[in-house]
Amino acid sequence: MTAWLVRRVAASIAIVFLVVTLTFILMDVAPGKPMLGPTERLVDPQAEAILNRQFGLDGPLDVRYVSYLRELAHGNLGLSFGLRRPVADALAEAIPNTLLLAGAALLIDFLIGLALGVYQALRVHRIPDVVLGNVTLFLYSVPTFWLGLILLLVFGEWLGWFPVAGMSDPILCPTVSSFYCAVDRLWHLALPALTLGFVGAAGTARFQRAAMLEVAGQDYIRTARAKGASERRVLLRHQLRNALLSFITLFGLAFPFLLTGAVLIETIFAWPGMGRLATDAILRRDFPVVNAAVLLASTMVVAGNLVADVLLAIADPRLRVRSGGGEPA
Amino acid sequence: MLSAMPLERRLALVLATLVLGSTACQRAGSCTGAYCGTLVIGAVGEPDILLPPSTQEGVSRDIDEQLFLKLADIGLSTNTIGDEDFQPLLAERWEWDGPLTLVFHLDPRARWQDGQPVTASDVAFTFDAYTDSLVASPYRAALRRVASVTARDPQTAVFRFREKYPEMFYDAVYHMRVLPAHLLRGTPRDQWRTAPFGRQPVGDGPYRFVSWKAGQSLELVADSTFFLGRPAIRRLIWRFTPDLMVATTQLVADQADGRDQLVTPDNIGRAAAAPQLTIYPYRGATYGYMGFNLAANGDTTQPHPIFGDRDVRRALTMAVDRASLLKSVFGDYAKVPPGPVSQLWWIWDPEMRQLPYDTTRAKWTLSSHGWRDSDKDGIRDRDGQPLAFHLLVSSVSTIRKTYARLIQEQLRQVGVQVEIDEVDNSVVSERLAAGKFDAVMLAWQTDPTPSSGVPQVWTRGGFGRSNYLRYDNPAFDALVDKATSAATRAQARVAWRGAIETVNADAPAIFLFATDNVAAFHKRVADVRIRPDSWAALVRTWRIPPDRLIDRDRVEP
Repeated sequence: MTAWLVRRVAASIAIVFLVVTLTFILMDVAPGKPMLGPTERLVDPQAEAILNRQFGLDGPLDVRYVSYLRELAHGNLGLSFGLRRPVADALAEAIPNTLLLAGAALLIDFLIGLALGVYQALRVHRIPDVVLGNVTLFLYSVPTFWLGLILLLVFGEWLGWFPVAGMSDPILCPTVSSFYCAVDRLWHLALPALTLGFVGAAGTARFQRAAMLEVAGQDYIRTARAKGASERRVLLRHQLRNALLSFITLFGLAFPFLLTGAVLIETIFAWPGMGRLATDAILRRDFPVVNAAVLLASTMVVAGNLVADVLLAIADPRLRVRSGGGEPA
Repeated sequence: MLSAMPLERRLALVLATLVLGSTACQRAGSCTGAYCGTLVIGAVGEPDILLPPSTQEGVSRDIDEQLFLKLADIGLSTNTIGDEDFQPLLAERWEWDGPLTLVFHLDPRARWQDGQPVTASDVAFTFDAYTDSLVASPYRAALRRVASVTARDPQTAVFRFREKYPEMFYDAVYHMRVLPAHLLRGTPRDQWRTAPFGRQPVGDGPYRFVSWKAGQSLELVADSTFFLGRPAIRRLIWRFTPDLMVATTQLVADQADGRDQLVTPDNIGRAAAAPQLTIYPYRGATYGYMGFNLAANGDTTQPHPIFGDRDVRRALTMAVDRASLLKSVFGDYAKVPPGPVSQLWWIWDPEMRQLPYDTTRAKWTLSSHGWRDSDKDGIRDRDGQPLAFHLLVSSVSTIRKTYARLIQEQLRQVGVQVEIDEVDNSVVSERLAAGKFDAVMLAWQTDPTPSSGVPQVWTRGGFGRSNYLRYDNPAFDALVDKATSAATRAQARVAWRGAIETVNADAPAIFLFATDNVAAFHKRVADVRIRPDSWAALVRTWRIPPDRLIDRDRVEP
């Protein structure tokens, strides 16, 4: 297991390095130039040239790449010319916001999705299953941004039940320093988290229903019933537990989303997370921010997969690593 | 105990806690009287830095307006010639000491918000910083005709000019906001672009900086000791959104008090229908056009095969019904410009001579120049080449994209094929700078004077700067020179009119729109006066009367 883990970690580092390198090169060769100011204002080419030099945007690609790697090795992600501040500072502010939104969305996604999937599987082909199947199919088919806009319009603008944008009330709660302002933050979180959570839950429910039904036909379920186990025990100990294996894979895939954010939803609800940061940076060709965001995203993807593999190995004895240190069976 | 409750009751308890919590969060404020009030502004975008010489971002400029004073500021007329329409700010008075020397006497009451007096040394330091290549200020070029700024004594700053011209005073005061030398002197100039001061500024204006939450909001609070009078609205809060639609929704949902520009008729309609809002139209600073690249696509040494021909450009201009396009895109909230002119400029004159909308003449001109539909495919051609070109458009501008599609259809009707290339702003900028385009949809946000924008965008001196179309007419350049150096406003007006009519006749672009800005602010805000070049310039004179205060006005900062 240890040797396998070491190999997986080494491969993961290599993948991240490759992704970061490719991103650096592609951003350079892609059309478009760094936007150092607003487009509708007159350009002073001299000032632009000086800023290009000061932000290190004017050297040859290989020199800039070596410099980037050197700085990266020292933990320096560079300076954002769009934000006029160190990239690490911007990330340090955006990551917790994205974690909050994505964490809440994943919670809604998995709790509702899991519950619905199990409920549907227990009532398969009956009216509740059919109704929920159609509802989840509808939600799964809906583009996330569309659902976000509808919730924003109905619950934000028309009914006024929820704030339409932002993370907190800037008048009452400039900083979260009290219980009330923590609640205010939850109130602001509701619409974006529900938007992401509902769409995710629809997919998770369908996935979980299928997994439950697949497990229901297995020999060990029949054996458990034949041995006189209660339905509750069959469901919880045998059927659900085995169906959860695919759920863990799903979680591993969703894990990177925790830090990379949901671009459109962060834009629609003015949520200052990683998705919005990265989108703005791409549009401005703010290379240091884009590179840092890609570094983070790729790290999360490989880490998510690694965690999912490890969790699967722990959860399912059949998948445990052979003692010789080879691949999981 | 909680686990013993039925699920429904547990859910009800959680919901009740949330509702009570959010209600309690709206803790009652105690502020009463004339100096309360909170104005929440829905901003699209966010400042990059709050250091005036280092930024041109719109939101930064609005906030800087509250934090840093100029020596004097332009009046509501936005007249840039002479000094009679300017209002004193940091300078309580000024006088001319000969034709090239301007002397400012600072108001002795002026203080930095850390208690230090504002001195003439600060003014000299500011000029030095704005013109220092290490700071790379976008305003540096605008100060090229100011030779020096010195401090005669702590209260007297002396400006010396290189030459005499009508907008000397405007150049001296409009571009620079005076900076605190004692706080910035220690920061190397090449690091000003990211200076910590720019995220926690100390100014001398009517408002003090309080906090800036990246991506969320920024708060200023009124300086009760401000020497020109305490601002009536106590708190100014900018809420940052990435998108105009979101900002408008915030406004309509009563979660913001105002927005300076609503831009589209749809947004204006939504705001007008909101009972708590009042609409304020004002002159816009933007004009937009479809520009023809007069040089070959990607080769500035050769003329463009289509647009190198002046008559073809004129024909294309006459084939476009600018008035109907304007109505379709802006409704009643823009005007067809009489040339490359924004409504902000005093030279605006609808009577300037322009090419008419005349499709018959347009078709005749194209045919007479050999552009005929010889293969009957609906597209004119000449020597086997179709009359077709690519139109470069920013994908983030709804207005320009809509215009592009409408123009595509109007030109199709006279046998011209237009392919629209929608790309993001960074690609548009790159291709413009490299001359790699046929035609482009552009818009410029202008200063109050044509003297800076017109030479840079339309004269030969703008090659390598913002004259991306490579329009070059020595007669036009001479008229612009004459206008910018005219001794009187009347002489300048005649020269400007000649220059603009020359451009119109040459048709390097189809001038499509000059925006009317429309702002919306909450009805409880009184004395709202908007200066067209900078909506936020007079916010310190706005107020919320005590009988109109609402809960959010009373909350203590």
